[in-house]
Amino acid sequence: MISYILKRLLGAVVTMLAVIFFTFIIFFYLTPDPAASICGDACTPDTIVQIRRQLGLEEPFFVQFWAFLSGIFVGRTYGEGTAAEIYCSAPCLGYSFQYRTDVFDGIVDRLPVTITIAVGAAVLWILSGVAAGVISAVKQGTWWDRGAMMFALAGVSLPNYFVALVLQYLLVVQLQWLPFPAVVGFTDDPTRWFQTYIMPWTVLALMYASMYARLTRTNMIDTLGENFMRTAHAKGLRPAPIMLRHGLRPSLTPVVTLLGMDFATLLGGALITETVFGLNGVGRWAYNAIGTNDQPVIMGVTLLAAFAVIIANIVVDLTYTALDPRVRESTK
Amino acid sequence: MTRQPLLRAENLVRDFRTGPRTIFRAVKGVSFDVARRETLGIVGESGSGKSTTARMAAKLIEPTEGLLEFDGVDVTYKAGKALRDFRGGVQVVFQDPYSSLNPRHTVEQVISAPLLYQGRKVLGGRRRVVKESMERVGLNPDHSGRYPAQFSGGQAQRIGIARALVVEPQLVICDEAVSALDVSVQAQVLDLLRDLQRDLNLSYIFIAHDLAVVRQIAHKVAVMKSGEIVEQGSREAIFDAPRHEYTQSLLAAVPQVDPSWEAARQAG
Amino acid sequence: MTDKPMLQVVDLTIAFPTAAVVDQVSFEIPQGGTMGLVGESGSGKSMTSLAVMGLLPREARTTGRISFMDEELLGRSDRQMRRLRGDRMAMIFQDPLSSLNPYYTVGFQIAEAYRAHRGGSRRAGLRRAVEAMDRVKIVDADKRVNHYPHQFSGGMRQRVMIAMALVCEPELIIADEPTTALDVTVQAQILELLAEVQQSTGAGMLFITHDLAVVSQVSDRITVMRHGRTVEQGTAEQIFSRPSNDYTRQLLAATPRLDDQVDLPEPILTPVGSEDS
Ligand SMILES: Nc1ncnc2c1ncn2[C@@H]1O[C@H](COP(=O)(O)OP(=O)(O)O)[C@@H](O)[C@H]1O
Ligand SMILES: Nc1ncnc2c1ncn2[C@@H]1O[C@H](COP(=O)(O)OP(=O)(O)O)[C@@H](O)[C@H]1O
Ligand SMILES: [Mg+2]
Ligand SMILES: [Mg+2]
Repeated sequence: MISYILKRLLGAVVTMLAVIFFTFIIFFYLTPDPAASICGDACTPDTIVQIRRQLGLEEPFFVQFWAFLSGIFVGRTYGEGTAAEIYCSAPCLGYSFQYRTDVFDGIVDRLPVTITIAVGAAVLWILSGVAAGVISAVKQGTWWDRGAMMFALAGVSLPNYFVALVLQYLLVVQLQWLPFPAVVGFTDDPTRWFQTYIMPWTVLALMYASMYARLTRTNMIDTLGENFMRTAHAKGLRPAPIMLRHGLRPSLTPVVTLLGMDFATLLGGALITETVFGLNGVGRWAYNAIGTNDQPVIMGVTLLAAFAVIIANIVVDLTYTALDPRVRESTK
Repeated sequence: MTRQPLLRAENLVRDFRTGPRTIFRAVKGVSFDVARRETLGIVGESGSGKSTTARMAAKLIEPTEGLLEFDGVDVTYKAGKALRDFRGGVQVVFQDPYSSLNPRHTVEQVISAPLLYQGRKVLGGRRRVVKESMERVGLNPDHSGRYPAQFSGGQAQRIGIARALVVEPQLVICDEAVSALDVSVQAQVLDLLRDLQRDLNLSYIFIAHDLAVVRQIAHKVAVMKSGEIVEQGSREAIFDAPRHEYTQSLLAAVPQVDPSWEAARQAG
Repeated sequence: MTDKPMLQVVDLTIAFPTAAVVDQVSFEIPQGGTMGLVGESGSGKSMTSLAVMGLLPREARTTGRISFMDEELLGRSDRQMRRLRGDRMAMIFQDPLSSLNPYYTVGFQIAEAYRAHRGGSRRAGLRRAVEAMDRVKIVDADKRVNHYPHQFSGGMRQRVMIAMALVCEPELIIADEPTTALDVTVQAQILELLAEVQQSTGAGMLFITHDLAVVSQVSDRITVMRHGRTVEQGTAEQIFSRPSNDYTRQLLAATPRLDDQVDLPEPILTPVGSEDS
């Protein structure tokens, strides 16, 4: 088991290096000149060259790549000459000249907001989605089933920025049940914290819960047809253990896979909700950076997303192992 | 006195890769032969390598080692035309009649499929051949437009046999072909197989885990255990005077009706 | 032993919205006795047994009487039936692998059956599981309780199912084709085990199979079923030596025999070099 985890981690490092390399190539060759956008309107070719030199953009590809890569591990210094020197400490994912900040620090500052939104939403959608799926499967063909599935359909069909806007308008502007969202720490003011995040959670969860409900339903219906369900009934178990222990547990494996894959798209979801609700998270930062062509930020967030996906994959596989004894066997 | 068998297998071996560094030898060097109009029965417990042996004999999979001769010709590693000829000579019937027949094809399409695969032109057209084939196995030829699901288990297995026969093979390999059938249907299918053998000079390799069934169809029997043939001989030798300990234990385990009850019934 | 039957099924009829699948079937099992239910597939054997356990699909309608130890079972609520199932009557199914949940250890699954009726801690349940596994002769039971179903061979899995059925010491054991998926040598062992278990616990048994030879060995009395109806009923000796029904006779005649054989066409032994295709 330990050696399996080590093997997976080693694989993750290799994958991450490859991702960094290809991301770098894309930004190196395919994006507009960041010097031009930094320089702004009143710009002469001379200043552009100067900025480019300062950013190290005049160097050959591999020199730049090496500077970036080594920056991650040991930090790097931007610019020549004493005055313009900017030190970006390890782990350095680049330096945003527009925000005048270290990209990594910028991400670290904003990540708690994004993670709070993502994790809270995930908890909400897993609970509600799986519960709806179980009810649908157990009450298959009844009004319960139809109602839950109709709700699920609505969840996927409605664009979530629309739901976000409607919710915000109704609850905050019209009914004034909730204050305007503002970033507060949980420990500072738990009520305000909850009031701030409940809307983003609901909006994101609504989008995902429907998929989880339908997936759980399908799997659960398959599982309910298994022979071991008949055994569970024959043992004289009560309905709850029959449904949850024997019916639900085997149905959860695909749900975990989906969850792992959704990590990849979660950042996108966070982006929309953060933007609509005006919360200063990583998603909103990336969204703004795309608008202003702030390449170090875009690239930093891209790498963060890749990192999250790779880690999520490992976590999913390890969870599998914990969930399915037959898989556990093969990873020994 | 040398005889030339229709099919001869010598030292067939088959390995399966089971992991990055592990190989499992499912069949460990088996030799047998089948003459024309003869049936070789293969018995043994599940996992003993019967199906793997059958699939090698039908060239559905390649042996890792060994020699396969059909009609005196080495066909072990043949491909192209030689393989197509072999496929015309050897057909397979599997256990589960429904899952081995395409549910979306009519019986006519199912039965004529081997003709199509082999690109054969047939005298009098495909339809006539299919009807003949259906009649031969005791199916109503008017039902050629129906789908497999509309037939009972025994009828579906007859469809499988009709499909095997349509290319006029010399050898038919039956892998647990009657195992899923009820006894009365099983008895009818066994009857059919024996009649077809008599009329068409067919040879069979007949695989079953039910020893009593094998006794009713096989001229000679090979007993497999863990990928090896532990004993081989005529059916009388195997069933009445088994020499190998494993064969003896296998026969001893077969449930039987009290012989005195049987005798009483025969008498009454 | 009293002369009152432990299980009495009278005119049991089971109908689905589409068709009746069991029609007026009656039989009884005396204390400690074995009734063999034999017939071809689809004859209604499994439906009959599920009716006794109260496990028929919801859309099935039943009429008739099923009395178990003098208590009427038909018409009981699911809650009442649940108390009996796995406790006073237990069932063993055909395919042991798919009948066990792959996600839980066999020990957990056996203990679950015990704790559902007798309560107690997880620990105590596992101890019962080890005992039950010992009784069905699984060696190293104390280690193997922690193994998962896929780590057992087919025969061992069926022993696990039997251990699960025995753990509450039921008065009636229903075995639906318990050896059909097993190799002959393993089948012989399992049949022997079931006979021993019955000897030692005095449980009654409803033994279902399509195999006449098997049923002849395990049953005191036999019911032959066809298309949901009883065609013949009697002691094993009666059925096999003096069958009174045509269908029973046909079935017996069709059963292949190990000690007898039919004639086969002569093989053609072509000498090498002579005429060829
Ligand atoms: N494709 C395969 N890959 C790995 N192992 C296989 C494969 N096919 C068969 N085996 C193994 O080979 C052995 C013999 O299988 P098989 O020939 O199907 O036995 P039988 O037909 O006698 O039951 C079994 O242990 C089986 O698990
Ligand atoms: N849910 C159902 N609806 C309608 N018919 C059914 C249903 N389940 C089983 N049957 C039918 O009931 C008959 C008896 O089945 P069963 O008791 O399983 O037979 P056996 O166990 O003797 O093989 C079969 O013909 C089967 O098709
Ligand atoms: Mg096989
Ligand atoms: Mg059945």
